[in-house]
Amino acid sequence: MSVQHPRPRAVAFLAGVLSALLTAVPAAAHGPDPVLGGSLWPQNQRLEFRWRSGAVPPAAIRTAILDAAADVGATRGSKAATYAYDPAGANPIGYGTGATCGVNGLACFSRSAPTGFFMWFREQGHVFDWGSLKWCQMYTTAPTGCYDAETIALDELGHVEILDHHVNYTDDSDYEDAVVQTFSRTKPRDGWNMHGFGRCDVATLQREYDVLSWTTPYSTCLDVDTVLTLAASPSSIPYDSTTTLTATLRTVSRVAYERLGGNPVAGRVVRLQRRPVGTTSWVALGTMTAAAPGSYAFAIRLTRSSEFRAVFTTPPDEGLNGSVSPTVTVVVAACTSSCPLLLGR
Amino acid sequence: MVESRWFRRAGPGIVAVGAVVLVATATLAARDRPSAPPTCAGQAGRGGTSGAWYRIAPRVEAGERRGQTLWVGRPGGSAPRVLDLDPESFASGPFDGRVLVGTDDGTASRLSLLDAADGCAWPIAVSADVIRRATLTPSGDSVVEFRVDRRTRRDLGVWERSLRPGAGATQLLPPIAADGRFGVTWSTELQWSVDGRVLAVQSCGEVACRSRLLDTASGHVHELADPALGAIVGVDRDRVVAFEACRGFPCPLDLIDLTAGSRTNVDPLAGEAVVATDERGRRWAVYDQLDGGLRSVALDDRTVRDLMPEADARRRLLGTPTRSGVGADLPPGWVLVASGDTHEPIGSSAPDARRVSDGRIVHFDEVPR
Repeated sequence: MSVQHPRPRAVAFLAGVLSALLTAVPAAAHGPDPVLGGSLWPQNQRLEFRWRSGAVPPAAIRTAILDAAADVGATRGSKAATYAYDPAGANPIGYGTGATCGVNGLACFSRSAPTGFFMWFREQGHVFDWGSLKWCQMYTTAPTGCYDAETIALDELGHVEILDHHVNYTDDSDYEDAVVQTFSRTKPRDGWNMHGFGRCDVATLQREYDVLSWTTPYSTCLDVDTVLTLAASPSSIPYDSTTTLTATLRTVSRVAYERLGGNPVAGRVVRLQRRPVGTTSWVALGTMTAAAPGSYAFAIRLTRSSEFRAVFTTPPDEGLNGSVSPTVTVVVAACTSSCPLLLGR
Repeated sequence: MVESRWFRRAGPGIVAVGAVVLVATATLAARDRPSAPPTCAGQAGRGGTSGAWYRIAPRVEAGERRGQTLWVGRPGGSAPRVLDLDPESFASGPFDGRVLVGTDDGTASRLSLLDAADGCAWPIAVSADVIRRATLTPSGDSVVEFRVDRRTRRDLGVWERSLRPGAGATQLLPPIAADGRFGVTWSTELQWSVDGRVLAVQSCGEVACRSRLLDTASGHVHELADPALGAIVGVDRDRVVAFEACRGFPCPLDLIDLTAGSRTNVDPLAGEAVVATDERGRRWAVYDQLDGGLRSVALDDRTVRDLMPEADARRRLLGTPTRSGVGADLPPGWVLVASGDTHEPIGSSAPDARRVSDGRIVHFDEVPR
């Protein structure tokens, strides 16, 4: 918005050296949102908020904030805190008068997990250098250039969780991967009205708070390796008997994965493959049946010794990497009675 | 709380010639238009009685800003004076008992200097451009203004205007150049260094801020343009205390050495902060901590003093006037604190003050002067 004008001669311009020295190295573009300092909330903490006395938001903004609170619950994909309105809630949300947001921004917060938080929203008509703030919800027909209060509230609630601003690609092509953004967008730019956490918001919430359940999809903004093990019970069987192969699928236990490391991965498709001992080609047997969380079983009747492996193919719709188990050999004893007649051998 | 309204009710449109027009116009259509404070005699500038305080806050009706209310008070127990301003308005100071006020009615911006003791005001300027912010120079003989174009809201730069009658304004700094790392400028703030030698012109995007630090003696400008930085807390010679670019608290608080070109973290989890001078002239970064305590860190050797731990957890520090909307004349060694967890004083009453050396809290009126 600013236009550069020639500076007066009296002003010596020393820009460059200092700014170069002081400019931080930019973070790698794209990936899960960074995190703020401070502690986490307990998993699945219910955070009850109330409207701040003397600074109660107007009805339209209250509705937007309530909707944003519901958006958190619906899209967190993790055991991050949830938000609920309670007139006696410990965490005040205010509007306009008395806001402690400093000089810029649409809204602000203060978090002191696990104790509580508070939040402020600028009032409709707050005047910035660029003009007056318009909340879309304050109009029957939202005008061009308005900010969506539900989106902004969701951004703030994301901050309260622990999320810092997403680091976008240079061209911002990944803007809609996160609602927690440095620069808010106005109607009608893409991303002006996001009503759910983006995949890179969810990625960080999952990493910090863990997935909601073992069947919850991992955010595609993550890149989590899995490990698949396989065991046969029993591993030696009489001729023409049944053994059960059990695969266990987990995420790799890695410090960088934080709470996600070593998780059972349930409800996925794990396939079993077989090859006769002494051969090289694998043959698909079928999909293993989910058992205990992260366990998948397959019972098979065998007449000859075989090698098995389980395969978890990288899913296209979540941030888990596929894995293949080590080979397991099941030894089948020789036939001793009522053996089939083998012709042509 | 009894308030002494500066303005009596008067008929619509009645404004005495020469009076200081500060009140909202169209936005107050539903109310009787208040009259203006009387014009002060003599020369505008510093030189009043120190000890004034002010608070400015938006006036919100049906969810929408209809204007701002300014309370101006002084020690002695008298009720604060109240001024209704337009939605686009500001206050700065106090400057030895005087508060600089700007208000824009949509057609013109008007600057006035209010005297807290006498309840009068000096008209300073009327501008067709929007004067977004202004401050008095430490010498008290001129005003520095930041302006934007009325129609396009384009940055028009920083201007200096002598308080001598008939003096014009000259451009002190040009508009700041566009920089995508900061985005559109949301707010431009003017702040003097502790010693009054450096004027910090801070241009904040939605989250990050950049600043031009003008040495008024040499004319040199240091540009601080690090998108990792947020609002400036204070400037002491070549040292700048600033938040990192945050949208809330806690927020890392940094100390920047302009000469060395270095930035070091003072606290990764700071709350509101100010730069304060103690009785011996030593400068400190004073800030809230998450546990409710207040910490001071000396800017020279990073000496740390924890002033008020848990016992006064709810006595939050009031940040710089641009952040808190509260400004006050305080002697060295004192900072403003709120009465509760809202970071603001109770209603329109004067804030409390806390002595940095021992944590003692007193009402504003009781601060020894």
